[in-house]
Amino acid sequence: MWHIAKRELSDNLNSLRFALATVLLLGLMLTNAVVHLREHPERVQQYRERVSGHQNHIAAHASNGLYDLAQEGPGYLYKKPSNLRFCAEGSETFMSDRAQAGYHRWSTDTLKSFWILAYPSATPNRDNVRPEVTKVDWGFIIGYVLSLVALLFTFDSISGERERGTLRLTLSNAIPRHTVLIGKFLGAFISVSIPFILGVLVNLLVISTSSDVHLDAEAWGRLGIIFFIAVLYTCLFLALGMLVSARVQRSAVSLVVLLLVWVVFVVFMPSTLASIAGRSTSSGPTYDFSERSWKLHEELSSDYYANYDEGPEGSTKRIEIDGAYVTKDAEQQEQLHEERLNRRIAEVHRARAITRLSPVTIVQNLIESFAGTGFERHLQFLENVKTYAREFRTFIVDTDNADPESLHIFGVRTGMSQEPVSPEAVPKFEDTLNLSKDFNTAATELLLLTLFVLVLLSGAYLAFVRVEV
Amino acid sequence: MMTLIRRELLDNLMTFRFAAATFITLLLVVANTFVLIIDYERRLASHNDAVKMHQRQLQEKITYSAGEVRVDRPPNPLSIFNVGFDKRLGNEIEVSHKLVPSLWDAGMHGSDNPFMDMFASMDIVFIFEVILSLFALIFAYNAFAGEYESGTLRLVLTHPIGRGKILVAKYMSAMLCLIVPLLISLLLAIILLTTSTSISLNSDDFLRIGGIILTSVAYLSVFYLIGLLISAATRRTSTALMLSMFVWGFLVLVYPNMILTVIPRPASPDALRTSAFNRIENIWETFDRERKHYLSTDDFPGEDWGYELRGIGWRGANFRDYAPILLYTYRSVMHFEGFGEKDEPKMPHAQKHFGFLGAQTIDAADRTWLIRKPALEEIFIQPADTERIYLKLSPVGLYDAATQAWAGTDLLGIRDFFDAARQYRQSVINYFYDSKVFESRQWFSGDKGAADWSGLPQFSFQRDNIDTNAKRAIPDVCLLLMINVVLFIVIFLIFVKSEV
Repeated sequence: MWHIAKRELSDNLNSLRFALATVLLLGLMLTNAVVHLREHPERVQQYRERVSGHQNHIAAHASNGLYDLAQEGPGYLYKKPSNLRFCAEGSETFMSDRAQAGYHRWSTDTLKSFWILAYPSATPNRDNVRPEVTKVDWGFIIGYVLSLVALLFTFDSISGERERGTLRLTLSNAIPRHTVLIGKFLGAFISVSIPFILGVLVNLLVISTSSDVHLDAEAWGRLGIIFFIAVLYTCLFLALGMLVSARVQRSAVSLVVLLLVWVVFVVFMPSTLASIAGRSTSSGPTYDFSERSWKLHEELSSDYYANYDEGPEGSTKRIEIDGAYVTKDAEQQEQLHEERLNRRIAEVHRARAITRLSPVTIVQNLIESFAGTGFERHLQFLENVKTYAREFRTFIVDTDNADPESLHIFGVRTGMSQEPVSPEAVPKFEDTLNLSKDFNTAATELLLLTLFVLVLLSGAYLAFVRVEV
Repeated sequence: MMTLIRRELLDNLMTFRFAAATFITLLLVVANTFVLIIDYERRLASHNDAVKMHQRQLQEKITYSAGEVRVDRPPNPLSIFNVGFDKRLGNEIEVSHKLVPSLWDAGMHGSDNPFMDMFASMDIVFIFEVILSLFALIFAYNAFAGEYESGTLRLVLTHPIGRGKILVAKYMSAMLCLIVPLLISLLLAIILLTTSTSISLNSDDFLRIGGIILTSVAYLSVFYLIGLLISAATRRTSTALMLSMFVWGFLVLVYPNMILTVIPRPASPDALRTSAFNRIENIWETFDRERKHYLSTDDFPGEDWGYELRGIGWRGANFRDYAPILLYTYRSVMHFEGFGEKDEPKMPHAQKHFGFLGAQTIDAADRTWLIRKPALEEIFIQPADTERIYLKLSPVGLYDAATQAWAGTDLLGIRDFFDAARQYRQSVINYFYDSKVFESRQWFSGDKGAADWSGLPQFSFQRDNIDTNAKRAIPDVCLLLMINVVLFIVIFLIFVKSEV
C-alpha cells in the first residue's frame, strides 16, 4: 500500500499540475495574509476607539443622573472583530458590526422616549459604486480553488492508468484492490496536501510574525480545526474524483464529468438554492414596518392624551400616567424590532438549511463558525447584546430601588432617583467569543460533511472493485 | 475547406463533451432564468407598491412644506442577463428644493431582509462567464495536441491544403459547436421572458440582447483561442489540459477576485473631503446668517422662524449634515390644521418669510451641488473606475463590463436615473415658483384649503436608447475582438512554424 502511495506521490510531484497548484495556492495564501495584515490593525484600532467612545458615552450620561442614563441608554454596542477574519470574511460584510442600544424616536416638551434595542442593518452596498468581487479568504481558497485542484489531481488516477495499461499490471500483483485504491487515495491526498500546507504555512508565518496581529492559543486551536475541515473537504473531492475516474473509461470524459459536477455543486448550487430559498420566504416590504411602528405609537399616544387631564401638573398621578406611557411605548417598539429581527433570522436559517446541499456552503459555514465571523457569530453577538441590555436595565432598577426618596416611577425625570450615579458602577458592554457554542452549531454541518465523504469513499471503493480491466 | 470543416464538426458534435455542454448550459440557464424572472417580478411589485405608497403619503400631507416628493427607480428587465448595479444601489430618492439629489442620498425599498444579501445571486451572464469559458477550453485542448499524438495531423498536412485553412476550419467548426448551446439556452431564456406577463420587451431591448449575444460569442472565442494556443504550444494533450484548467482557474476564479486586493489603494481622500465639506459648511452658515438676519430685521418682533404660531399640528426645523457623503441641508417643516384667531395677523409675515426662505434654500442647495458633485466624483467614482480598469485586464472583466453596458445596469446606466431626478427637481422648483407655492399659506398650514398636489409635474424616467448603450459597450467589445485577433495571429504563427 505504501509502495503504491509512494509511486503515486513521485508521479505527481514531478508533474506540471503539482507545480501549478503550488504556485496558485501559495500566491493566494500570500495575498490573503498581506491583505489581512493591511486591514486588520485598522479594524482593531477602530474597535478600540469605538469601545472607549461607548464608555465615555455612558460616563457622560451617568454623571447627569439616573434619569438621563435610563433615557439615553448605553448607545451603540460594537462587535469585536475576530482575529481570524482572514479565514472567512465573505458574509461578514453583510452583517452589521453594531447594535443600537439607544434608539430614540420622539420627544415632547416634558417627556422623552426611552431607549430601545434596535438592530441597524449593514448595507455596505447602498452607496458602494466599486465593482463587487468575492473576498479572497480561506473559505474561497479552500472552497473553490482547493476543490478544483483536488479534482485535477484525481480525474485520471484510475482511468489514466487503464488507458496506459499500467492498471492491469498493478492488479496482476498479489495486492487486493482496496489496498490499491487506498494507496492511490493516499498518494493523491499527500500530493494535494503539500501545496496546501505550504500555502497555509506561508500564510500563517506572515501573519504571526507581524507584531500587529496577535494569535493566542485559542486562535491556534481554531485554526487547527479549520485545517482539519479543509482536509476533510479535500478528501470529499478526491473521493469524488476517484469515483468518477473508476466508472468512466477515458480520462478526458472523466475530467469533463468532474468539471461539470464541480461547476454545478460548487459554483451554481449555493447561489441558485439561496435564491430559491429567498424567494419562498419573501417577507413584506420595508415600509410596512415603519408604518406599523408609527401606528402603534399613534394609538398609544392618543390613549395617553385622552387621559391627559386626569392628574394635575406635578402630581404623582400625572407622573404615573406619564411614566406608564413612556415605558409602554419603549416596550412595544422594542418588541416590534425584536420580532422583525427574529423573522429575518428565521428566514436566513431556512435558506441556509437548503443551501447545505452544496458541500462548499457547508465548508464555508464551518470555517465561518470557527473563525468567529459570519452569521452564527452575529447571532452570538446579538445574544451578548441582549444579555447586556437586561443587565443594564436591572442596574437602573436596582439603583433606583436603593434610593428611598425615589418614587420608583420610570420614564419621568421626577419619578426617578435624583442621586448621582457613579460611572464606574454602570455595566459596560464586552463582546465575547465562545468556542464551545460554535462547536454545537457546527456539529451538524461537520457530521454532514463527514457523511458526504464516507458516501463518496465507499462509492469509489465499490466502483473500483467492480471495474473491469 | 468545406470538407475540413465538416470533418471537424462531425468530430466535435459526436462527442460526449458536446452533449454535456449543451445539457448543462440549458439546465443552468433555464433553472436560473425561472428564479431570476420571479425575482424580477417581486422587485417590480415592490417598486409599484413603493410608487403607490409615496403618492399616498404625499396626498395625505396638507401643507407643501411637509410633503416629500419621492421618485422610484424601476427595476431593469435586462438585469436578468446581467444584474450589475441594478439591485445594489438605491432605488428611491426624495426630490426637494432643499437638496440636489445624488446617488448617495438614495434610499432602498424592496427586500426586508438585509441578511439575505449574503447569499450570492447570479445572472445569465455569470453562467456563461463560468460555463462557456470552461467548455471552450475543453473543446480546444486536444485540437492540435490530440492530432499530433494520434498522428492524423501529419496525414491532413500531406494534402495540398494551406495550414491557415486548417486552422480556420478548426476554429470555425469548434465555434459553431460552442455557439449551439449558447444560442439554444438564450433562446429558451428569451421565450421564458416573453411568456412572463410582467416583462414587456420592446425592439430596443431585443437589440440590447443581440449585443449581449455578440459579446458572448466574442468572449467564447477568446477562451477557445486561449485553449488552441495552449494546445498548439504544448503538443501533448495531458499537458495542454492541465495548463488550460489552471489558466481557466486563474482567469475566471482567481484574478477577478484577487486583483482588487493587490493593487495599491489610493490615498484616502480625507483632505479633499474635509476641504469640500468645509466649503459646503460655509455656504450653509452664510445661509443661516441671512436667515437669522431676515428674521431679526423683518417688521415682526422676535426671531422665531415659526412666528410663534400656535395651532393643531407640528413643526420642526433642523440642519442635517453627514460629512462622509458631503451631505448638508436645511429642512423646516410645518404641518398645521388650524390656528387661533389671534394668529391671523402673523400670517402675512410668515408667508413672506417662507417665500424668502424657499429661494434662499434653493440657492444654497444649488451652490452646494456645484462643490459636491466634483468632490463626490473624485472620492467615490474615480477609484471605482480605476478598479474597473484593472478588472478589465482579464477577458472575464471585459465581458462583464460590456454586457452590463448593453443591459444598462452599469454605473452610468444607474446614474442616468439620478440625472433624470435632478432634472425633475428643477421642474418641481419651477412649478413651485410659477404657482407661488413658497409664499402661499398652504406652505405651512392647511386650514384654508390643503396643498394641491395634482398640479405637480409628473416624473418619468426613460431608459437611454440603444445608441447610448452601444456607445458604452463598444469599446469593451472592440477590446475583446482585438484580443481575438491577436491570439489568432499568434496561433497561426506557431502552427505554421511547427514541425509535424
